[in-house]
Amino acid sequence: MVRPDPMKWRVLLPAFAVTSCSGAQTPLDPVGDQASQLFSLLTLMLWVCGIAYALVLAFLGWTLWRARHVLERDPPEVAPEDRRLNHGLRIWAGLVAVGLIILAGGSYVVDWALSRAEREAALEVRVTGHQWWWRIEYRDPATHQWIETANELHLPQGRTALVLLGSADVIHSFWVPNVAGKMDMVPGRINQVALTPRRLGWFRGQCAEFCGSQHAHMAFDVYVDSPAQFAAWLTAQRQPATAATDPVLARGAQVVTQGPCAACHRLRGTPATGRAGPDITHLASRHALAAGTLPLTRGAIQGWIAQPKALKPGTMMPAIPLSAADADAVSRYLVTLK
Amino acid sequence: MRGGRAASLVLLLLLAACSKEKRVLDADQPVTDPVGAQDPRTRQFQDNAYQVAQGGRYFAWYGCSNCHGNGAQEPLDLGDGRWRHGSTPDRVYAAIAGHGALGARILPEQRWQLAAYVEQLPTLDTAYRRRQDTDQVGEAQAGNWSGPIR
Repeated sequence: MVRPDPMKWRVLLPAFAVTSCSGAQTPLDPVGDQASQLFSLLTLMLWVCGIAYALVLAFLGWTLWRARHVLERDPPEVAPEDRRLNHGLRIWAGLVAVGLIILAGGSYVVDWALSRAEREAALEVRVTGHQWWWRIEYRDPATHQWIETANELHLPQGRTALVLLGSADVIHSFWVPNVAGKMDMVPGRINQVALTPRRLGWFRGQCAEFCGSQHAHMAFDVYVDSPAQFAAWLTAQRQPATAATDPVLARGAQVVTQGPCAACHRLRGTPATGRAGPDITHLASRHALAAGTLPLTRGAIQGWIAQPKALKPGTMMPAIPLSAADADAVSRYLVTLK
Repeated sequence: MRGGRAASLVLLLLLAACSKEKRVLDADQPVTDPVGAQDPRTRQFQDNAYQVAQGGRYFAWYGCSNCHGNGAQEPLDLGDGRWRHGSTPDRVYAAIAGHGALGARILPEQRWQLAAYVEQLPTLDTAYRRRQDTDQVGEAQAGNWSGPIR
């Protein structure tokens, strides 16, 4: 048997602790009201349980010391009516009750704050889990129509968005650790979660319930924008797809909107009306391809279309056989879809 | 000794059952149209539950059930075992590909899977088919997506 080097662990353990305390996907660096509330509950729980744990260990140490140093020399007579012991036990039971009441009270207060935020939401977003991508729809504040996008969530800073969570196939779970707690997406039910981000920036969301072979490649980007930036982004998303401006792009547009892509993908304002796959009207406005699998570049798009299952085994996206010239035109066209 | 023989028989049966669910998750291989009614690839699609189920998924995704769904009337009913364009696999494949612009968008492998799904419909219990439809209620039907499963 190989014994692990104890020194190695002494170096690694603090490293683990430090890496998980900051970053774009951690509940320990909260940037949203909901994540902050849950983080304070975690802190409270650590204090209450830590104190209880320290007390138990202290009493255990004391009994060991007492057994060795006092009882051996001077064995006690059996005294069923030990008043000091009974008194101590009562105080201990009282402490346990106080600890539990603090935990239950803290949990109640946080729960209440979370549900109050849901009632005050100013923006409605619908997120549906598919194997293995996210359909994201914004309720247009002006027309109340749904504006569809996929795999990238934009949130206005300092405002509360109510996210309605559903599933099209199996159970998924919606989790943006820096902004809020996780919530399951259960077929046959609409769950909801409120998100109130306070810090601008990029964060990462991830499916948190095993949903099939590509569960790990079911991520999404979360951008917290200023309210003005967010309004501009939503206005851009509302627009139909950009028209092709030169012959190569026009050929790409023809293949995409009339070829096999159009059977499953929608480009608003074109003959491509499929809904089974993600809406790609503004594909190039996003930062990742295939639910966080690849960066959104022209090369990644072309590779993804040519052989998606080599990049994400099991994905529902089929390989599309295209001539070299068409594959080039298609990827050139798709990166213009800002 | 008899017990051992019976056990190995059961094991063999189990192994045979495994191949029915076999699916390949690796890179897609090019698939071509069927060559005549006796194309040996037919059985690979028809005898594999995964391939048939994929056919059922595309049946919903491409909106086939809008016209050929459960309870469709003759001549659109695909469950009555009568094939207007011929009953051999290559004829069914050709009939799927012949659906105008939609048929042209469907890739060869998906046509194989759709043909395998459609060909087993006459032997499929109506209740089982209804159950399949219920399972896919959250998926899109061509240009329509009616929201997540409620």
